[in-house]
Amino acid sequence: MDLLIQLLITGLINGSHYALLGIGFGLIFGTTGIVHFAYGPLFAASAYLIWWLAAMAGVPFLAAAVIGAALAALLGILSYLAVYRPLLRRRSPPFVVLVSSLGLFVIVSNLIGIVFGTDAKTVEVAYGIYFLGDSVITGVQVSQMVAVVAVALLLLAFLRFTRYGNAIRAMADNMQMARVIGVRTERVTMLVFGLGSAISAIAAAHILVRDGALPGMGFLAVFYAFVCVVVGGVGSIWGAALGGILVGMVESAGMWKIPTEWQSTIAFVVLFAVILWRPTGLLKGA
Amino acid sequence: MNTTKGWSRRAVLAGFGAASAVAAASGRARADVPDVLKVGAILSMSGSSPYYGTVMSRGAQMAVDEINDKGGVAGKRLQLVIEDHKSGNTQAAVDAMNRLIALENAQAVLLSFSGPTVAVAPISEQKQIFVMNGGGVSPKMIGVSKYMFHNRALAADLAAGIIERAHERGLNKVAQIAIKSEFGDSAIAASDDAAKRLGMNIVAVEQFGQDATNIDTQVAKLRAAQPEAIADWPTTPQSGMVVKRVREFGMQQPVLAMEWTAEDTKLAGVQNSEGVEVLTDYFGKSPDNPWGNRFFDAYKAKYGEDPDFYAANYYEAVFVIAECIRRAQAKGGDWWNGARLTDALWQDPAFDSVYGGKMTFGKNGVAHKRVALLRIHDGQPVLDHYMQSSAG
Repeated sequence: MDLLIQLLITGLINGSHYALLGIGFGLIFGTTGIVHFAYGPLFAASAYLIWWLAAMAGVPFLAAAVIGAALAALLGILSYLAVYRPLLRRRSPPFVVLVSSLGLFVIVSNLIGIVFGTDAKTVEVAYGIYFLGDSVITGVQVSQMVAVVAVALLLLAFLRFTRYGNAIRAMADNMQMARVIGVRTERVTMLVFGLGSAISAIAAAHILVRDGALPGMGFLAVFYAFVCVVVGGVGSIWGAALGGILVGMVESAGMWKIPTEWQSTIAFVVLFAVILWRPTGLLKGA
Repeated sequence: MNTTKGWSRRAVLAGFGAASAVAAASGRARADVPDVLKVGAILSMSGSSPYYGTVMSRGAQMAVDEINDKGGVAGKRLQLVIEDHKSGNTQAAVDAMNRLIALENAQAVLLSFSGPTVAVAPISEQKQIFVMNGGGVSPKMIGVSKYMFHNRALAADLAAGIIERAHERGLNKVAQIAIKSEFGDSAIAASDDAAKRLGMNIVAVEQFGQDATNIDTQVAKLRAAQPEAIADWPTTPQSGMVVKRVREFGMQQPVLAMEWTAEDTKLAGVQNSEGVEVLTDYFGKSPDNPWGNRFFDAYKAKYGEDPDFYAANYYEAVFVIAECIRRAQAKGGDWWNGARLTDALWQDPAFDSVYGGKMTFGKNGVAHKRVALLRIHDGQPVLDHYMQSSAG
C-alpha cells in the first residue's frame, strides 16, 4: 500500500508537469489550429536560456526564470512570424504547415546543441525533501503542482475577463467569424504563441532544477503535450490540465503491477482509449 | 593475312590487349588505394547522449592528427569522417555505414553503442569492412561479423563483476535499474546469471525508455523492494540521474554502476555521488605508461578536461587501424579493404595499448584489457583496484 500511495503522489506530480505542457500547447493549438511541434524544442531552449542566465550570467534563479519565460515568449512569437504566418498568408494547406513545424522542430533541436553544447546543464538551487508518511516529495515537485494551478487560474481569468482573452476564445470557437467581427487574428495569434511558449518555460525551469537540461528533452515534451490536449479536449484549458493529470496518474499508478518498461506506452494507450470512447476529448473546448 | 605496315592483325590485337590489361591494372590499383585513407566513425553526436560522440570523436581525431603529423601511415594520410547515429538510432547507423562505404570508400569504421554496432554488422560482413567498437558492451555484438573487433570490456563481464563485488561486500539483495535497450537487457541478463551462481537475490528489476527524464516511478518501486544494494546500469547521463533520484527518495543503500562520467557527477550532485562504486574501463596517468601520459596531457591541454576511457579507447582504436594498414601495405597487392586489414590484425593480435603495455584480441574479437573498481569521492573517481576482464 505504501508503494501505491507513492505511485499516486508521483503520478500527480508527473501529471502536473504534463498538464503545464498541455496548457501551453493547447492554447496555441486550440486557438490557431497549428500543430506546433517545435513547442518541444522551444521548451528545451527555455531551459537552456534559464540555465545560461542563472549559471553563466549570475542572475538569481527566480529572475532568470522570469527573463527566460519572456525570452521563450519572444521565440514563440518569432517562430510564428518566421515560419507559420508566411505559409498561412499564402493559404498553404494544413499539411504544409505541419511539415514546416516538424522542420522547425529539427532546426531548433540542433541549434540548441550548436549554441549551448551537447552536455547536460544543471543549476545549483537548494530545495527541501519532505516525507508524507512513507512517501517522498521534493520542494521542486510541490512547486510544479502549485505552478499548474496558478497558471491555469490566471489563464482562465485572462481568457474570461480581458479583451484579448475574449478574442482568443472567439478565434478558438470560429476563426472566420472572429475575423468578420473585427478580431485582429494575426495579432492575437502572436499573443497565444507568446503566452504558450512562456508557459512552457515555467515547466522548463522546474525540470532544469529537478533533472537538468538535456538536448533531447523537448522530444517527449511535445508528444505528452499533444496527448494531454487530445485527451482533455482541444480548446479547453481545464481539459488540458485534466488530461495531463490523468496521463500522469495512469502512467505511474499503472506501474504498480506492470513492469515499468511499459511506462511510455501507457500514455498512448490512454490517448487511444479516450479517442475511441470520446473523440472530442474529456471536456469539450470553449 | 591482313597486315598493317608489316604488323599482323593478330599482333596488333594482342598488343592492344596487353596495353589495356596494364592500364586496367594500374587504374584498379589507383582507384583501390586513395591518397587519403578515410576512416569512418559512426558516433552518438546528437540526441539524448551526445557526450559519448563528443569525447570519442576527440580521441579519434587526436590520433589521426598525431599520425598525420608524423607523415601518415603507409605513405598515406588519414582522414576521420564522422557520422551520427543519434544516440543509438540503428537506422541512422545503417544509413551512415552505407554512406561511408559508397561515398567515402571507408574500409575501416569506428562504431559505438551496441545497437548500431549490431545493426551494421551484416554490412561489415557482406562488404568486408573492418569495424572497431570501443563503446558498446552487449554480448550480441560478438560473432556477428568476422571483421568486427572491440577494445572495450563487455557489459556481461562488468555486470557479473559488479554482482560479485556486491557479494564480496555482503550485499545479497540487489535491485537493478536499466534503460530498456540492448545494453540494459544484456546487463540485466548477465547480473541475473551471476546472482544465481552466487546464491544472491535480485529483488527488483526496473527499466525506462532511452529518452525518459522522469524515473520517479521506477525509483519508487526500487525503494519498495528494500534492497541492500542498487545496481545502476544506465549509461551517462541517466546513471547520474538514477543516483540523484535514489538519494532524494531517501535511499542510502550502496549504488554500484558500470558507467560513470563527469556528466553523471554533474547531474547527481557531488554529495549524492559520494561513495558510488563503478566497475569499468578506466584510463588515467601512471608512471609506467609514457604514451598514455602524453595522450592524457595533450587531451587536457586541448580540451581543458581529463580524457576518460572513451576518448582513450577511440584514440587507441585509430592506432590499431593504422598498424593494420601498415602491415597490410607491407604485404602488397590490393590491400585497402577490410578483409586485408582483418588479416593484418590476426597476423599478430597484440597491439600497444594507450592504457599501458599490450592488449591482445581474443578469438571472439574482444581485446583483453584490465578494468578498474573506482569509488566516487568528492565528485571524482578514485581508483580502488584493477581487475582483469574475463572477455574471450
